[in-house]
Amino acid sequence: MIKITELEKIYRTEEVETIALNKLSIEVKDGEFVAVMGPSGCGKSTLLNILGLLDDPDKGSFIFNQIEVADFNERRRADLRKHNIGFVFQSFNLIDELTVFENVELPLIYTGVKSADRKKRVEEVLDKVQIMHRRNHYPQQLSGGQQQRVAVARAVVNKPKLILADEPTGNLDSHNGNDVMQLLTELNEQGTTIVMVTHSEHDAGYSHRIIRMLDGQTVTENILV
Amino acid sequence: MFYNYFKTAFRNLLRNKGYAAINIVGLAVGIAACLLIFLVIQFETSFDNFHKKKNEIYRIGTELPGADGMNYTAGCALPVGPQLRLDFPQVKEVASIFNQGGQITIDNNGSQKKFNADNFFYAEPEFFSIFDFGWLSGNPQTCLKDPNSAAITQEVAEKYFGDWRSAIGKTFKYENKTPYKICGILKNIPANSDFPLGIVVSYSAINSTYLKDNLKDWVSTFGDAYTFVVLPPEISQIKFNEQLKAFSKKHKPAEYAKEASYAQPLTEIHFDNRFGNFSGHTFGHSLIEALALIGVFLIVIASVNFINLATAQAVNRSKEVGIRKVLGSNRLQLALQFLGETFLITFAAIIFAVGIAIIVLPLVNQLLEIKMSINFIANPVVTLFLVTTLVLVTFLSGIYPAIILSGFNPITALKSKITSKMVGGLSLRRVLVVLQFVIAQILIIGMLIVVSQMNYFRTASLGFDKAAILNVGLPGDSVSHTKINYVRDALLKNPDIKNVSFSFTSPSSESNWNSDFKFDHSAKTTDFSANLKWADENYFKTYNLQFVAGRAFYPSDTSREFVVNETLIKKLGIRDPKDAIGKQINFWNGAKVANIVGVIRDFNTYSLRKPIGAVVLSSAKDFYQTINIKIKPGAEKATLPFIEKVWNDAFPDYVYEYRFLDDTIAGFYKQENQLSLLYKVFAGLAIFISCLGLYGLVSFMAVQRTKEVGIRKVLGASVQNIVYLFSKEFTLLIIIAFAIAAPIAYYIMHKWLLDYTYRIDLGASTFLLAIAGSIIISWITVGHRAIKAAIANPVKSLRTE
Ligand SMILES: Nc1ncnc2c1ncn2[C@@H]1O[C@H](COP(=O)(O)OP(=O)(O)O)[C@@H](O)[C@H]1O
Ligand SMILES: [Mg+2]
Repeated sequence: MIKITELEKIYRTEEVETIALNKLSIEVKDGEFVAVMGPSGCGKSTLLNILGLLDDPDKGSFIFNQIEVADFNERRRADLRKHNIGFVFQSFNLIDELTVFENVELPLIYTGVKSADRKKRVEEVLDKVQIMHRRNHYPQQLSGGQQQRVAVARAVVNKPKLILADEPTGNLDSHNGNDVMQLLTELNEQGTTIVMVTHSEHDAGYSHRIIRMLDGQTVTENILV
Repeated sequence: MFYNYFKTAFRNLLRNKGYAAINIVGLAVGIAACLLIFLVIQFETSFDNFHKKKNEIYRIGTELPGADGMNYTAGCALPVGPQLRLDFPQVKEVASIFNQGGQITIDNNGSQKKFNADNFFYAEPEFFSIFDFGWLSGNPQTCLKDPNSAAITQEVAEKYFGDWRSAIGKTFKYENKTPYKICGILKNIPANSDFPLGIVVSYSAINSTYLKDNLKDWVSTFGDAYTFVVLPPEISQIKFNEQLKAFSKKHKPAEYAKEASYAQPLTEIHFDNRFGNFSGHTFGHSLIEALALIGVFLIVIASVNFINLATAQAVNRSKEVGIRKVLGSNRLQLALQFLGETFLITFAAIIFAVGIAIIVLPLVNQLLEIKMSINFIANPVVTLFLVTTLVLVTFLSGIYPAIILSGFNPITALKSKITSKMVGGLSLRRVLVVLQFVIAQILIIGMLIVVSQMNYFRTASLGFDKAAILNVGLPGDSVSHTKINYVRDALLKNPDIKNVSFSFTSPSSESNWNSDFKFDHSAKTTDFSANLKWADENYFKTYNLQFVAGRAFYPSDTSREFVVNETLIKKLGIRDPKDAIGKQINFWNGAKVANIVGVIRDFNTYSLRKPIGAVVLSSAKDFYQTINIKIKPGAEKATLPFIEKVWNDAFPDYVYEYRFLDDTIAGFYKQENQLSLLYKVFAGLAIFISCLGLYGLVSFMAVQRTKEVGIRKVLGASVQNIVYLFSKEFTLLIIIAFAIAAPIAYYIMHKWLLDYTYRIDLGASTFLLAIAGSIIISWITVGHRAIKAAIANPVKSLRTE
């Protein structure tokens, strides 16, 4: 599904130049659940952003579903993204002005799904994450755990092949965190590929393989399954 | 998709009610003003555009070369029309029409009703084939042939006879003398016509009036005697005017040959204030341009608010942009979404604007003395205007924020790392605030100057005493003139009446009689005209006119002695007024000849727009038509019934009419007064909308800088320090705006003032007042919000982080 080779990402500001990714090569197969770990600032989020087509690399190759996408323009990346990739963030990132239902509906709107279909599919996923009863609430009216479940629902509503999760449990207590991990595991069992950044060895334990990074490079890989 | 956009847009507006309100109120006020300006311009440019031949119709006015350049009059000598028919067979249609005021008497089964009518016209039947004024009954060809027949409009018919159908065949008397029989009813004249016809009688009726000699007189031009022609397409205006020069040379006496006839298109009559028209209401092209510019200005100011608030708010919305991008929205979709929000706000503003316009329209009608219809909404042109405004304002104010917002990098946006600096809007916002205040201050300075010029008009010394003077009409017939002495004695019996004088007009008047003359036995006439003020000997005391040499003329019914003003002798090159005494003045080749017995100090004979001209005063009872009554100041009101009674006893057949001279003089500046009120409103709106935006920006800054304010306070900053922090930047921006606005306003207003011979000096005080006013108003605006931010508890604001 994903094959990156010798990927480089360098951030330049007036004073300093930060090499966020340094000739990084990683491969993720269809259906895998991979955890990415490493100290703060080692480039995990940068990697995830590039994998999610939110950012482009400075050098190297990125093959997504057999297509080279490293040099895609913003429009093509947006297109590929909305059909194939779902995101879960540490800080949930729900739109405050929209209700739970409308937040989850949003990706379907962008991919042009008909309104009747949308209703069915949104209700399906809301049911799955057990937040159906809160469908007409606004994000601020929910607890952190509930908000993250909505975010997961939103990430999967389009049935993406790949879910990218950046510290999805970072803002949650362990009970709510486990709920979310449970949810991700179920999705993976149903065939969704998952790449998850985490600081927690416990959460990483849900994955098949752990990639450990330091200074923009992989140091070790532990295969758990 | 669009539904979703509008949903977010709508909720966003509800969430940020304050900003939405500022935007909508600002835009609504701006658009309403613009809409009203549009309606006024539309109305004023629609005058007489309903005549089929409007583009081929020309009015034959007259060029009057004078010492101070070319003057124009809309009228012509009476023989011009008939002669054009003979000399220009290629001009198919020619028609003359002559407006005269007068008294109408209706005999209704023995009981007489009297009316003063200023809508009385002599017209040739051809007038109605050139112009498309409809007839309800009768037809011009037959009706206006007979010298004693008349047509009246439905409105007049209903006023005089109740029902227009019953008016046909009835008779009325004009000036208590000439009877006319009604043979036609005209449809009411549309509000947008410069032909306020009321009563139209046969042109041939002039043959039996005192004007009959003028029908053959090529010299006297009457300002209210118009002749119209329909030019065939092959004759251009320029070509025709050349032919008219030759025509005038051929027919006028040699010394008047330079007063050539001049063809002016009908389409210019409403706009060219050198000429004037029957309605007495012109609307110059420059005025239209000024109003249009003000309309655009107000919309720009309101749009600037929008841009400023939207970019300021952009930081708050960066997260939403990030999420939407992550979920697959592309930039165009996002830009459209934000434009959609702008559209929504603009749309709401337009709805409010139309409401405001509907409420305010009657006031505008009243102020400008026009009759715009409240049904403007139904007019497709207005709809088009509103739609255009909607699209234009949406783009003008929405495109920049949309580009900025949709361009956010999603990763940065989600990290909440977008700062107001990155929005790129900070310097732009400064530029825009400066732009707003440049516009607002130009309007304020302009308004202050117009208002001070108006004050000057009100208070300037005119060279005569105008307080507590009542002008009453004097019937023109000789029988009435025999009662002059009786009326004077009767009036002076009242101790509150100080003086009574009979004259042609008051010292400052809209109707002036000018003529050149021969001085001191010269063979040649003067190269300037003198203003002829026929008046009795009491005129000097009544108006407190001051003699610099000689004395007033002795009582007489005819012109035996002349009194002249200083300008006249200056124009003749006489230094010492005493040298003028005893010199002869000869009008019209001996028709009126007498010696100068006195020289008086100059006084203003018309509005202060014009310089003082030469004046000749002399007694001439036949020409008197005004009674000038000086009342004891304070007793004006109380004396009115007494004067009316004396008048009605003396002239029972006539309608009593009076006017205070103060009001007459104020009337000279009617349009300026209307404009100064308009400018006050517009300048007020401009500063209001600008401050509304400023308030929004400061509120926004206050929220943004809550933490900074908190830290500063913890470190010991006082409330004043914080308020200063907020206001110093705006103060600077307003000063920069002033530096740009002042020269522009100076340039524009200096040009405007040049139209007035007597004008105020453009001193620094006006400009200082404008800048001080702007700063104070903005301080009040900013201060309120800044103080609120400054007195907030710092512990609270710091904990939220
Ligand atoms: N937009 C940016 N501009 C400059 N430097 C950045 C930017 N984003 C990340 N970095 C730098 O790149 C490195 C990797 O960051 P990141 O991928 O966020 O690390 P992680 O997620 O592993 O904590 C860090 O040193 C960070 O400071
Ligand atoms: Mg990170």
